[in-house]
Amino acid sequence: MRTQRRLLLFLVFLVTLISAGASGYQVIIDRANKAYSDGSYANSIDLYKEVLKNGYESAELYYNIGNAYYKLNDYSSAILYYERGNRLDPGNEDINFNLKIVNNKIADKIEPLPELFYKRWYDALVSLFSLDTWAKIVVILFLLSIFMASIYFISRILILRKISFWLSIILFFSFLFTMLTAFQSYSRLKNQHEAIVFSPTITVKSSPDEKSIDLFVIHEGTKVSIIDQIGNWYEIRIANGSVGWLQSSTIEKI
Amino acid sequence: MMIRRIIIIVAGMIFLSLGTGHAQNVTFEASAKTVVGVGETFAVSFTVNAQGVIFRGPAFPNFMVISGPNGSTSSSIRMINGRTTMSIANSYSYYLQATKEGSYEIQPATITVDNKVYKSNSLTIKVIQNPGSSGQNPGQNTSPQNRNQQQGQTGPQSASNDVFVKAFISNAAPLQGEGIIVTYKIFTKVPISQIAFTKLSSFPGFWSQNLMKENEKNNQSTQIIDGQQYVVADIRKIVLFPLKSGTLTIDPLELQCVAQVKRPTKTRTGDPFFDDFFNDSFFNNSYSTIEKSLKSNPLVVNVKPLPAENIPVGFNGAVGTFSFNSTIDKTKLKTNDAINLKFTVSGEGNIQLIDKLDMTFPPDFETYDPKITSAINPISSGIAGTQTFEYLVIPRKPGNFTLKPVTFTYFDLKKRQYVSISTPQYAINVEKGSGESAAITYSGVNKEDIKYIGSDIRHIKNQPFTLQKTGVFFFGSTFFYLCLLIPLLLFIVLIIFWKKQNARKADIQLMKNRKATKVARNRLRKAEKFLKEQNKEEFYIEISQALWGYLSDKFNIPLAELSMESVNDALIKKNVNEEIIRQFTETLNDTEFARFAPGEKSLFMDKIFNEALEIISKIERELR
Repeated sequence: MRTQRRLLLFLVFLVTLISAGASGYQVIIDRANKAYSDGSYANSIDLYKEVLKNGYESAELYYNIGNAYYKLNDYSSAILYYERGNRLDPGNEDINFNLKIVNNKIADKIEPLPELFYKRWYDALVSLFSLDTWAKIVVILFLLSIFMASIYFISRILILRKISFWLSIILFFSFLFTMLTAFQSYSRLKNQHEAIVFSPTITVKSSPDEKSIDLFVIHEGTKVSIIDQIGNWYEIRIANGSVGWLQSSTIEKI
Repeated sequence: MMIRRIIIIVAGMIFLSLGTGHAQNVTFEASAKTVVGVGETFAVSFTVNAQGVIFRGPAFPNFMVISGPNGSTSSSIRMINGRTTMSIANSYSYYLQATKEGSYEIQPATITVDNKVYKSNSLTIKVIQNPGSSGQNPGQNTSPQNRNQQQGQTGPQSASNDVFVKAFISNAAPLQGEGIIVTYKIFTKVPISQIAFTKLSSFPGFWSQNLMKENEKNNQSTQIIDGQQYVVADIRKIVLFPLKSGTLTIDPLELQCVAQVKRPTKTRTGDPFFDDFFNDSFFNNSYSTIEKSLKSNPLVVNVKPLPAENIPVGFNGAVGTFSFNSTIDKTKLKTNDAINLKFTVSGEGNIQLIDKLDMTFPPDFETYDPKITSAINPISSGIAGTQTFEYLVIPRKPGNFTLKPVTFTYFDLKKRQYVSISTPQYAINVEKGSGESAAITYSGVNKEDIKYIGSDIRHIKNQPFTLQKTGVFFFGSTFFYLCLLIPLLLFIVLIIFWKKQNARKADIQLMKNRKATKVARNRLRKAEKFLKEQNKEEFYIEISQALWGYLSDKFNIPLAELSMESVNDALIKKNVNEEIIRQFTETLNDTEFARFAPGEKSLFMDKIFNEALEIISKIERELR
């Protein structure tokens, strides 16, 4: 019991340590929010970005920056920041809503490739919570599983032992599954391979060479997946599955 | 003179009225030139000196019949020393064209005179290859209209060299695409007028351009050929650009003109008197206008192919000497403004054949077909001028674009090699225009359903939110793993502790179990001592404790839980005989009863002691 209490104390200490460092920026964020409300969107972007520059981020912060860019009609930047926010918190409904709005403003309308239903479901599941929420669920499930196992071992009451045994097994498998999901979410976050087009118009080439055949044209704001890189050329894939090469300066990684 | 003529006419009229059926030798003759050139038109006449009917002409399988049979009649009256004879000439003529070389026979024709069928003689015509200059061949073929004038005779021989047409070529062995000039000249000794082309030359394999305007024809000069003075005039001048290599033939030009020709000085009779008589100026004016068909010589051009090696990509067949440049009206503009891009090819050569340029625009440009304007001037050596391509393009999207250079390739006739000229590359900067039209073309509002019209993004988050270190996540952090690891360790420790505790507890029970009999015996021994002392209170306490304690230790039942029922259960569970259980509970009841019941207690003391001893040893046996 004493060890557990110590652990709890340690946890509280860590959380306060993390939030204490960030809390100083709340003032800046408040000022930025006010600037946004006053309509000086460029100012608010500068202030928000100051927080980013100091090494802090959050889905909401990206969301606010995206909104400010949207108000300045800079749709590709808006998309970039919404996507960054979406990456941190895929299930954020506001981000997804605004992203949908701004995606309707850009030039390219690409029909996405239909995906297999189980992949779609799994993606939706992974996107349900942010990575840290998943991590918390992992920890909670693990603790519950262990608790149930303890009951199984300690209890002398047969029915209680039976229930706790099965619960413990179920919880342990749930823990394994959520762990996998969290890993998926984590690898998506870490291995960044999506980008937003920033040049007004790009002709996508068939090979990493200016002289190669023109394949298709995409415009600013379009999201592309980066497959490969040679020099300053990226091999990209757009939502409908078309693949081609473009220069790295024309896009911005999410 | 006049009197004589009048007499003749009057007399002729008289004799004509007297009747024509004079006994006379009927002759039916065929006549024609015996030697003709290929392509020449000539006349074949069948003449009968009587009034004939049912003329049947022969077939001309080896010639082309241009016209015929054309019938004509002439009559003449002769008065010689008061004797008057009248002759009739009935002639049927064909105009034929010789098509191929060789010697051909013309079959006889038949005619019926006075119910008698007469047959003409057959003819042999020799068709020879045309002489090089076509100047000799025209003239023989007189058009049917002249026939009456000439009294059925073949055309005047003397006219053949008076007027002719000749074609000249500037270069008989040009390169493919190199311009050559073909000039048709008319040579004439006699005045001519009303030149009309009946068949213009066709130029298969060439691209042609007329260099002479309709009304400018008379570039006249005089030239002496074989001691004869001719007036020479250009009648047609054409520049030709061969489109393929090889031997190409230019068909002859055919034309008709009206010429004043000297009248032929021939009579049919051979009589000197009548020759003089008819050659008199009264009957025979020296000149008459006749319509003449003229034909030029065909030309053969041997076109050499262009060098096959080092043909540049994009060579389109332009041959000559050219320059190529481009102009653009602006390179910085806003969306939906138009760019005017102009390419000009100027120089000398087959410039009008340059009808397209290899121009591609970025896909976001709205392009139209180029406007092509030609300004062509005929010059002595062919054609010079400019060909202008005007492109109008409208960028619809903002951005930086590059208009790739356009390369024009031609074969330079002076340098005898292929030359490529490229225009500069243009960088176009397109800014977003103020107009809404650009947005309309791709606005998502139009793309989606109406539900998003007037929609806006959701407002920013104003309430405080937690910030986290960039790139630092709970998942995967040490803390995360500690959160998993520490409970796991605790769990393991707990389990181990629990196991140990259990093991110790089990040890205690085992000991108790083993000691149970011993303890019970000790108690009973004590009870025996109290029995001897007759200490009833202590005796019953010891007996009771011995029995209960034994059960408690033996069956691992806590003292607090001891009762008749729990003892019963425990014994049943251990498969103890029911008789023994009943006996045991009886003993217990007796003890309790004796202990708490008032009255004589000592009476049962021995009995209870023995029962207790007995039952414990029985259970011991039973459990073994």
